[in-house]
Amino acid sequence: MRAGGEDFEFEPADLVRAYIITKGRELPDEQQLSLITLVTATPEEGRRLNRLTPEEQRLLDICSAGYLSVAEVAGHTRLPLGVVRIVLASLTESGHLMTRPPVPRARNADKELLEEVLNGLHRKFG
Amino acid sequence: MTKYTADPLLWVLFLVLAAAVLVVVRQRKASAALRQEISGLREHYTDLEHHYTQSVASAQEQADEATKTVLKSAMRTLQGLAAEQQLILSRLQVKYGESAILQDLLEVDHTNSQFGRRAQSIAVLCGGWLGRHRDIASVYDVVRSAQGRIRHYRRVEILSQVDFGVSSRAVEPVALALAELLDNATSYSSPDTVVEINIRTVPKGVVIVVDDAGVGMNDEERARAERLLSTDRVTGVGGLGNPPQFGHAVIGVLAERFGFEVSVDSSSPYGGVRSVLLLPHELLTAVPERRVPVPAAAAPRPGAQPAVQAPAPAPVSRPAAQPAALPAAVPPPAPESYGSTEDGLPIRRRKRPMAIVPTTETAPHGAPASRSGEQTAAILGAFQRGTRSGRATQRDDEDQTTSTRGASSEGHEFS
Repeated sequence: MRAGGEDFEFEPADLVRAYIITKGRELPDEQQLSLITLVTATPEEGRRLNRLTPEEQRLLDICSAGYLSVAEVAGHTRLPLGVVRIVLASLTESGHLMTRPPVPRARNADKELLEEVLNGLHRKFG
Repeated sequence: MTKYTADPLLWVLFLVLAAAVLVVVRQRKASAALRQEISGLREHYTDLEHHYTQSVASAQEQADEATKTVLKSAMRTLQGLAAEQQLILSRLQVKYGESAILQDLLEVDHTNSQFGRRAQSIAVLCGGWLGRHRDIASVYDVVRSAQGRIRHYRRVEILSQVDFGVSSRAVEPVALALAELLDNATSYSSPDTVVEINIRTVPKGVVIVVDDAGVGMNDEERARAERLLSTDRVTGVGGLGNPPQFGHAVIGVLAERFGFEVSVDSSSPYGGVRSVLLLPHELLTAVPERRVPVPAAAAPRPGAQPAVQAPAPAPVSRPAAQPAALPAAVPPPAPESYGSTEDGLPIRRRKRPMAIVPTTETAPHGAPASRSGEQTAAILGAFQRGTRSGRATQRDDEDQTTSTRGASSEGHEFS
C-alpha cells in the first residue's frame, strides 16, 4: 500500500508540540519572571519528581546547581524562550524553583579611594 | 351385446371419452412445457439478478476506488502543507520566543495540528500516506503528541508514565489512533470534566487506558464501534454516516495495519467510556535517548535522513567525558546520561525512575572489602588516567573560553 520510501518527504517536526509542553498556560508577567530573573531549584524534600514532565525535569536539572538567569536556562534548551518562561513559572508555582530578582548592576567604585588604599598598602608593605 | 354395440349413444360416449383423454394428455404436456419454461425463465431471472448485483457491486467498488484515489492524493497535499506549516511554526516560535506573539503562535500551532490530524485520518481510511517518519519516542511522548492533536487537549491528564519507548514505525499510527480515542472521549463528555490517561505495563505489553466521564455509549453505538474496530468493517469513506464519524473506523484500520489492539467495550468508573489501547512487545523498545538537539535555525534541512542523528554539535567536549573517542554521530550509550544541552554537554539526572531491567551487576555496598590488591591498583590507575585526561581537556576548553560555547553550562558553578 505504501512504498517504504514514501514516508521520508518531510523533515519531521517535533513530536510533542510546544503548546503541550506549556500545557496551554499563559506567558507569565514580565515582573514575575523576566529574562534576567534568577532561578534555582529548591531543596529536594517535599517534591514529587515523578509527576514532572521530561521538560520540567530537564529545566530543574539545569537549575539544580545554583542561580541561573532565565535567559541562560533557555539557552541550554532548544525550546523557545517564552516556553521556557512558562514552564519555569509553573515550576516556581509548584514549589520546585525559587526565583530571585536580578542582581543590581554594580556601581563603579570610587577611583580616588582605591588609589588611596593602594598607596597606603604600598607604604605599609612596599 | 350387439344391442349395446349398435347403440350410438355408447359410441358417442366412447368418442367423448377418447377426446377427453386426448385433451387431458395434451394439457398435461403443455403444462409440463410451460413449467419448464417457467423454471427456465426463473433461472434466467436469478442469473440476471446475480449479474446485476455483481455489476452494481463492481461499479460501486470502482466508484469507491476512484473516490479513495482522489481523496488520497488530495489529503496527501493537505498533509504535506500541514507538515510544512508545522515546521514554519516551529521556526517562528523560536524566532519570536521572547515576544507576546508566541502565545498566538502556539494557538495557531494547535489548530494546525488538528487540521493535520483530520487530513491524516481521511488518508488512512483511503489506504494512503500516514505521515512523516518518526524517530523512536517514549510512550509518554507519543501520548502527549496524541493529546496535542485534539481540540480540548487541556482537559486531558496523563496520570502515570512507563519506561518504554515506541518503535519508530508505530509512533505516528499509535499517536493518531490515540488522538481519535481522545477526540471521542472529549467530545462525548461535558466540557468541565477531565479525561484521564493511565499508562501501565501488563504481561502482553503496555496499555494506555483512556477514561472519560461522559454519558457512555448505548448498545447500538457500542456494537457499531466494535464492528468498526473489528476486521469486517466498512472500507473506504462510504458508510461513515452523515456527519461522518471517522474515529473508530480510523482506529480499526490502524490497529490492523500496525498490530496493536484497541477495545472500547468496558465502561469507565466515571460513567463514560473506557478505551484501552494495547501495545504489544513487538512495537515497544527501550526508552530512547533524548535526541541531540538540533539548533532550531538549522531545522529545515531538505532531504535530510531523519534516521540519522544530527551530529553532536560539540565533538570537542564529548571525548572529554569519554576518552574512547566515539564517533560523533552515535550517541554514547551512557545509561545515566539524560541527553545533552545545546553545547553537547551531557545533562545527568539525579534519579533514574525505575529501570526496566534491574541492574544486577552492581555489587552491594559491602563490596570494597573484597577487592584484591590488583583491582584496587587498577581502579586507582584508572582514576589517575581520568584526572589527567580531564586536566588535559580542561586546558583545551580554556583555550575556547572566548567563544560562547566555552561559556558552557558548567559556567555558573565557577561564577
